[in-house]
Amino acid sequence: MVGKLKALKSMLELQNINTFYGPSHVLQDMTIKVNQGEIVCLLGANAAGKTTTMKTIFGLVKPKEGKVIFKGERLDTLKTDQIIKKGIILSPEGRRVFSRMTVRENLEMGAFMFSSTTQIAEDIDKVYALFPRLKERDKQISGTMSGGEQQMLAIGRALMARPQLLCLDEPSLGLSPILVQTVFDTIRKIRQDGVTIFLVEQNAFMALNNADRGYVLQSGKIILEDTAQNLLKNDTVRAAYLGG
Amino acid sequence: MSASPSHFQQKMQNPLKSLGIRKKIGDFLNNTKFLNRSLSWYVTGWRVGVFWGLIALFLPQLLNFSTNFLDQTYFAPNILLLDAILCGIYVMLALGLNIVVGYAGLLDLGYVAFFVIGSYTVAFATSGIIRNIHSQVVNIPALTFWEAIPLAALIAGFMGVLLGAPTLRLRGDYLAIVTLGFGEIVPIVIKDVPFFYGALGFQVPPAPVVNTPFGQVDFGNPLDFSAFYYLTLAVIILIVMFNILLRNSSIGRAWIAIREDELAASASGVNLVRIKLMAFGLGAAIGGIGGVFNGVMTSSISYDQFSFQVSISVLIMIVLGGIGSIPGVIVGAILLRFIDVYVISTISNMLQTNTALANPSNPFHFLVSFNLNTTKFLIFGLVLLLMIILRPQGIIPNKRRQLELKGVGLAPEELSVIGEIEREEEGSSAPPESVEGLGDI
Amino acid sequence: MFVLASTTSGIFIQTMVNGITLGAVYALVALGYTIVYGIVELINFAHGDVFMWSTAITLVVLNSMHVSTAVYGFALIGLLLLMIVIGAVVSGTLNVAIERLAYRPLRKAPRLAPLIAAIGVSFILENIAELWLGASGISYPDFFPNGGIVLGDVTIQYIDLVVVVLTVVLMYGLNVLVKSTKMGKAMRATAQDPEAAALMGVDINQTISFAFLVGGVLAGVAGVFYSLVIPVYAYNVGFELGLIAFTAAVLGGIGNITGAMAGGFLIGIIKALATNYLPNGSDLSDAVVFAILVLVLALRPSGLLGQQVPDKV
Ligand SMILES: Nc1ncnc2c1ncn2[C@@H]1O[C@H](COP(=O)(O)OP(=O)(O)OP(=O)(O)O)[C@@H](O)[C@H]1O
Ligand SMILES: [Mg+2]
Repeated sequence: MVGKLKALKSMLELQNINTFYGPSHVLQDMTIKVNQGEIVCLLGANAAGKTTTMKTIFGLVKPKEGKVIFKGERLDTLKTDQIIKKGIILSPEGRRVFSRMTVRENLEMGAFMFSSTTQIAEDIDKVYALFPRLKERDKQISGTMSGGEQQMLAIGRALMARPQLLCLDEPSLGLSPILVQTVFDTIRKIRQDGVTIFLVEQNAFMALNNADRGYVLQSGKIILEDTAQNLLKNDTVRAAYLGG
Repeated sequence: MSASPSHFQQKMQNPLKSLGIRKKIGDFLNNTKFLNRSLSWYVTGWRVGVFWGLIALFLPQLLNFSTNFLDQTYFAPNILLLDAILCGIYVMLALGLNIVVGYAGLLDLGYVAFFVIGSYTVAFATSGIIRNIHSQVVNIPALTFWEAIPLAALIAGFMGVLLGAPTLRLRGDYLAIVTLGFGEIVPIVIKDVPFFYGALGFQVPPAPVVNTPFGQVDFGNPLDFSAFYYLTLAVIILIVMFNILLRNSSIGRAWIAIREDELAASASGVNLVRIKLMAFGLGAAIGGIGGVFNGVMTSSISYDQFSFQVSISVLIMIVLGGIGSIPGVIVGAILLRFIDVYVISTISNMLQTNTALANPSNPFHFLVSFNLNTTKFLIFGLVLLLMIILRPQGIIPNKRRQLELKGVGLAPEELSVIGEIEREEEGSSAPPESVEGLGDI
Repeated sequence: MFVLASTTSGIFIQTMVNGITLGAVYALVALGYTIVYGIVELINFAHGDVFMWSTAITLVVLNSMHVSTAVYGFALIGLLLLMIVIGAVVSGTLNVAIERLAYRPLRKAPRLAPLIAAIGVSFILENIAELWLGASGISYPDFFPNGGIVLGDVTIQYIDLVVVVLTVVLMYGLNVLVKSTKMGKAMRATAQDPEAAALMGVDINQTISFAFLVGGVLAGVAGVFYSLVIPVYAYNVGFELGLIAFTAAVLGGIGNITGAMAGGFLIGIIKALATNYLPNGSDLSDAVVFAILVLVLALRPSGLLGQQVPDKV
């Protein structure tokens, strides 16, 4: 019992977040909690506000109301570069690798806040161990790599920041089924190394099969919140996201 | 912003607003009744346009009437009318540039080039004189002033298309530099290429006398500019009507589309280059017409009258008045000319003739030698910078453009990573009081 | 900057030497356009005036030090370094301040807005200089001794050598800065994708300020070099020079640092040749530069060294 309580130590909390783009109210009173050691996924159709949720967490858009709390500290008052120094990192939607830099340079950018070159070199080797594919392409200009390779690079680059919480925005977007499987296998491996994971996905089936808990977002509002197992059985989810 | 305004928004409010001065004036105008209508009804919307339109229509009569009670050494009606005509020429330029900048969203920094082309066209065409490669006079068949107007519009428009065709594919900021260079080069070419004989200047015959059923009308009478004034006014009205037609046409909608989202517009089948060329060519043609009026009015033209400063002045006019807004750019042009011609020189004169300042022991004595004309462009630069930062929508905003300038409806990539700025802007975008904004003609 | 040679080939070589020297100045100014454009996609219209302010301030400092003739030896080295430092500090600070006050508030605005603001700033800078030091040209204290290496009927002035050598050194330093330092990496990342860079922990505002600082410093040094080669101060020198340097940056491929360097030298040479060999050359050489600008933009907008800037319309 005590052990279980400890496992539920809160890592990230969004409390009553309201975010706007000009006049449009994109996130409406959103409350989300991610506990240490979990994989939590946020499901939602196109334009539901998933990416906006990530942007709000990372200070790329500012919420008009509400709080973002990471390990007891407020993030919504900080700038992006200060936020990620707290130990939370985002692999953004669409990979966003630095396309004119090599794979290695991209990984080095991921460790921008660190200065120890030996640490960075070690971490690069760890990433290469996780994604052997990247190691082969060490010197390649990343813009010339395939989409799947770029996705691995984006995740690897995020890991270079040594995060406690890794946020992933649609890591499976545009990947073949085999690659999707690889990505999710990697995500579980990363969790085993002690990294908490908050995942945005449209591929509800894969996400729920790999996550502990999930939230369902519809037009900016959280309409469901449950364990992944229950969500997989939920009728609304089945109808909307699992094709029946 | 549809939700309740946050405390943050209130904190960011304009100090003038929080003092409530504007609100008090607004309330007064809203609550005071005259003939069953609130005063604010009389000072908003089309009624303001009608008021100023009447002033413009009867300006010569009003000026003549003013001689009954104003000192003619300062308020000589004919001189004031001349100022009004020159101002009108700038109104034409502002309306023309507004097609390019305001409608199509293309920054043209060399608009003066088309002004030059118009001025020289009327000079050559109506005098029937050009010079050959050896600077010798060559007579060509002379055209009338009336024929010169469409000719100048045609030539300027053609030059606009010629300049635009290779460059309009480029992104907006490259275009700005190319047009800037063009504006610099045209006067140099006129000066150095013998055909134009620019270094010595050129005489332009005055506007003609016309026989009408109501008698002779002398458009070129230097002692009474009324006829030419009405001609200028008529052309401005035509240009305004043309602008309105254009804006409401399918081309106008295509311009809005490319301005808002070039990528999406081209995806939706808008032929970008052709549509931009259209704006460029039409804007240039109007600049050419302005040039014709300028040529006839100043009667002696030379290359050095046409500087970068002219291009920028016209740009400032439209930024000041409201980019894309027809009443805005008209007001902007009039206002800037007014500041330029009257305010700045009046202050200079006052400083230089003030007896108290003339006393060397006066701590402000140094102001005596202060010639505001040299600071004119400093002031203009400040106006441009402050307007674009603090009130980018101008004095009389164009409704649609106002939204764009606030960043609503922009592609996500265009929104910067800096969220703070976004908040500041939202804070200042409280709905305007009823007195503000004359509406979108 | 006169062509004193007498033989045809001598005239040609002398013209080339002059072109290379001015080309170094253009290259330094072009780098400022390219670095800033690369990072914020803004043509810093006021950049030419930032350059001009270095010539203005160093002029006033030299006059207040009563320098009017050539100095020699260590005094020369000291004075040259002092002027370079002053020019760099003036233009660097000015450029950073401009970004902070005029461009940053408009970073989210439509593209036209910061461009228009830049024009406003350019006007302001130019007219303050005109108010302060007047509209007519002022001769710049030419403290660098005349003389040079004589090769046949061609003379390579020492000042030409100094300018070109120091420019090359600066360029090397800039390359190291951008390629290998943390700040350089932050600049490159921000140029490619500011949002992603912020997500790596890059302070975007600081990085942009730094880019303006670097551009300003280079323009400041260029101002001192230019004044020693063409020792006349004019409040509006930045306008024309800015246009030329911008052409150089476009020629090399805007956003491309090596390109700006090459473009600067190339434009310097072309302009010198046009000035010398065209009738009415000193006026028409500007038209030639402009024609190059239009041609490059029309035919190969990515520049000669072509690094296609991904278009973020
Ligand atoms: N920068 C922006 N300006 C205005 N509206 C925006 C902006 N970014 C997103 N939106 C709008 O906000 C809503 C939510 O967008 P968001 O990107 O968060 O959706 P999403 O759930 O991530 O969708 P997808 O699955 O397609 O990535 C959409 O309607 C979108 O059009
Ligand atoms: Mg998304």
